[in-house]
Amino acid sequence: MAVMLTTNYGNIKLELDADKAPKTVENFLAYVNAGHYNGTVFHRVIDGFMIQGGGFEPGMKQKSTNEPVENEAKNGLKNEEYTVAMARTSAPHSATAQFFININNNSFLDYPGQDGWGYCVFGKVSDGTDVVDKIRSVKTTRSGMHADVPVEDVVIEKAEVV
Amino acid sequence: MPHTTAAFLDFVEQRASQAQQLYLLGDIFEAWAGDDDLDDVYNRRIVDALARLRDQGVALYWMAGNRDFLVDERFAQASGAVLLPDPHIACIAGRRIVLTHGDAWCTDDEAYMQFRAQVRTSVWQQQFLALSLPERKKIIESLRAGSQQAQRGKSYEIADVNASAIADLFEKSGTATMIHGHTHRPARHEHLHGSDTRVRYVLSDWDLDHGQPRGDWLAIDSAGEIRRCGLDALNRT
Repeated sequence: MAVMLTTNYGNIKLELDADKAPKTVENFLAYVNAGHYNGTVFHRVIDGFMIQGGGFEPGMKQKSTNEPVENEAKNGLKNEEYTVAMARTSAPHSATAQFFININNNSFLDYPGQDGWGYCVFGKVSDGTDVVDKIRSVKTTRSGMHADVPVEDVVIEKAEVV
Repeated sequence: MPHTTAAFLDFVEQRASQAQQLYLLGDIFEAWAGDDDLDDVYNRRIVDALARLRDQGVALYWMAGNRDFLVDERFAQASGAVLLPDPHIACIAGRRIVLTHGDAWCTDDEAYMQFRAQVRTSVWQQQFLALSLPERKKIIESLRAGSQQAQRGKSYEIADVNASAIADLFEKSGTATMIHGHTHRPARHEHLHGSDTRVRYVLSDWDLDHGQPRGDWLAIDSAGEIRRCGLDALNRT
């Protein structure tokens, strides 16, 4: 199972692991199929750490989401370079639409992490790591209460199952 | 005894005892309900190990973290530690280094910053410490269990120190070296500032009981060289 993200920096193919993270993949696909990600941005880019997106439209307009999904971080998948994981709030089971692509081995995010839960990895970039590398090095700034926001929008023009 | 605690006691006995000074930068304890909890068997064991260091002539400096910020005078007397403010500019081996726990610079997490500002006031602390020890432990337990986590804001961003807060701290302290922990992201960051390079060392968390065993410490030699060291307990396995 794979999802193609068409961005204004190029295409990123995400290979999803429905065996290890069934609920998380189902949740992600529901947003993909509903067209939720089309026109959202990577709004938080920290080189050496991760790029995060899927929750905002350009101008930092937050999109509404569905109910949160159970945290499946205990599935043995690691937050290694070019893996994709769900973002969440400080509550363990609060992931909705936002996801991030690790651009480092962020083992401190693995179960049990800092808070006993960790962040759930549910796939990896199988094509387009060079595009991820382009995005990780864009210039960032502050926007309202958000730091590390790209100066030029990094837009997910389309997300579709391939 | 948890493996992490054993590794800490081992570090204190084998490594820290060889040093002239030991700086502890916070969250040595998972929680600290107040200095009237010094008689707890676990707490006493840690404090006694630190006091032995003092008896061996090691100067001990203690900075509170976000979990054990209620450590106070009685603890200081029992352990022989000098309590440091956060941040603190230390002069170690002729080198000025700004030391900080780290949580004060996670300014993107506005809900946490509000919580922090509240619990660090003397009014809040007096009220909290006026409760009985069992009551305080219950509150800490519930905080840790996450029952109040939901109130800590809806940010989907994994907390880290804020780059401009760090730049400010370098600026205000007039130092080119910083050491902190808290974020669980061990690293050595070089920040270019004009023609100077500022270096920020981030310490690892210590955990030998859950997940991949981890933990580190920094050694500063008499020439001011800073070296990151793994725990002996990790090398043994």
